[in-house]
Amino acid sequence: MPTMLVIATTAVPDHLRGALSRWTSEVVPGIFVGSVSARVRDKLWQAVTDTVGNGAAVLVYPAPTEQGYAIRTAGTRRRVPTDFDGLTLIRMTAAPKAKEMQSPS
Amino acid sequence: MSAPRRGGDARRRLASPTLAMLPRVADSLSFLYLDMVRVVQDDTGVCAQIQVDAQRTDLVYIPTAALSCLLLGPGVSITTPALNTLARHGTSVISVGSGGVRAYAGILSDSLTTHWLEQQVACWSDPERRLDVAVRMYRMRFQDADLPEAVDLDKLRGLEGQRMKAFYKVLAQQHGIGRFRRNYPMGLPGPRQPRPVRSQRLSLRHRPRRAARARSVSRPRIRPHRQATLLRLRHRRPLQGRNHPPPGLRPPQLRQPRTGSTPPLPRRPTTPQAPPARRPRRPKAPDTTHHERHRRSGRRRRAAGEARRQDGPPLGPQGRRPARRRQLRRPR
Repeated sequence: MPTMLVIATTAVPDHLRGALSRWTSEVVPGIFVGSVSARVRDKLWQAVTDTVGNGAAVLVYPAPTEQGYAIRTAGTRRRVPTDFDGLTLIRMTAAPKAKEMQSPS
Repeated sequence: MSAPRRGGDARRRLASPTLAMLPRVADSLSFLYLDMVRVVQDDTGVCAQIQVDAQRTDLVYIPTAALSCLLLGPGVSITTPALNTLARHGTSVISVGSGGVRAYAGILSDSLTTHWLEQQVACWSDPERRLDVAVRMYRMRFQDADLPEAVDLDKLRGLEGQRMKAFYKVLAQQHGIGRFRRNYPMGLPGPRQPRPVRSQRLSLRHRPRRAARARSVSRPRIRPHRQATLLRLRHRRPLQGRNHPPPGLRPPQLRQPRTGSTPPLPRRPTTPQAPPARRPRRPKAPDTTHHERHRRSGRRRRAAGEARRQDGPPLGPQGRRPARRRQLRRPR
């Protein structure tokens, strides 16, 4: 049964964006929304993680968690999904040159 | 009169949402436990600041509107704007002990209606209605229940107890656990009260449920929707605080990282290192006093100095003489 998926990309190679646009639709630059089965999603995500290079990508898809979705990441950025006793929240890690207060970006 | 701001009404609705904009309690996230953080309201939302070290502070934004209960453990400081926002979103805030073991106090919004609380009290205070509610909940819980016609509350409790006993027995056999009893106050930690480990583990598994119950009790707006809450809690892990449970008592499910959703961060591989080899102690000369040993060691040292003066420095490991202070020699 196909389920929805959202892939958000940052600074990924152009060929990856083109490939993703074949399975999904790019609703705004870098955000791909589609509906595929779990197996296709896993294969697609495997390909994304292998080719993401220095960029980053995030996959969000429905899952039987309390929030109703699960998050997977490829590549590292400042936002890191963190598990809080079963809730996945986003932890904004401090920038390498930290100021006292960070504005979210 | 000030000029109307752009999107004034929608802005206000976002700031203090109406009831229709908030998720029902059965749809919302059950609880979030925080400890050792500072919770502040910044211009975009409520966030928890985690002090990593002296310079670095990590931020975690809290989904206040989607959350039905926020448990504040030890070491949390929270500002009043953050509390006001939490109240406006109908999130109950409970201050708890480490790991959510004890609930100390609940903070909730002033303007919530007490409709469901009144209904509940009305049911509770009328013996007939109370029995009727209990029977209905019993049937909801055990679908295959065949209750006798004339049943009272005590009988119902006995029947439930029998069922739970049988259920525990079946589970214990399935998981290969021996005999144990649950005969102590649930979850109350006490260093002087040693309790059976199995029972403590069971209490750990129940802790989020108790937290959720505290939540529903401290939220008079909505009837505690027991079934829905428990169903949702099945997906949750037990709470884990800084000190609770103690590491030796953590059940194995707690120690395993959560799989599936997010792969863990890559860590530097740790190679097991052998402890540094200790030099074997020189055996003490037997039957000597303290002073005797000191005298002997002095004699040995003097003898070594004498040998060095005569033969030069001792030979190195390869049988060569070590280079003589080559770096320190002055350039000519």
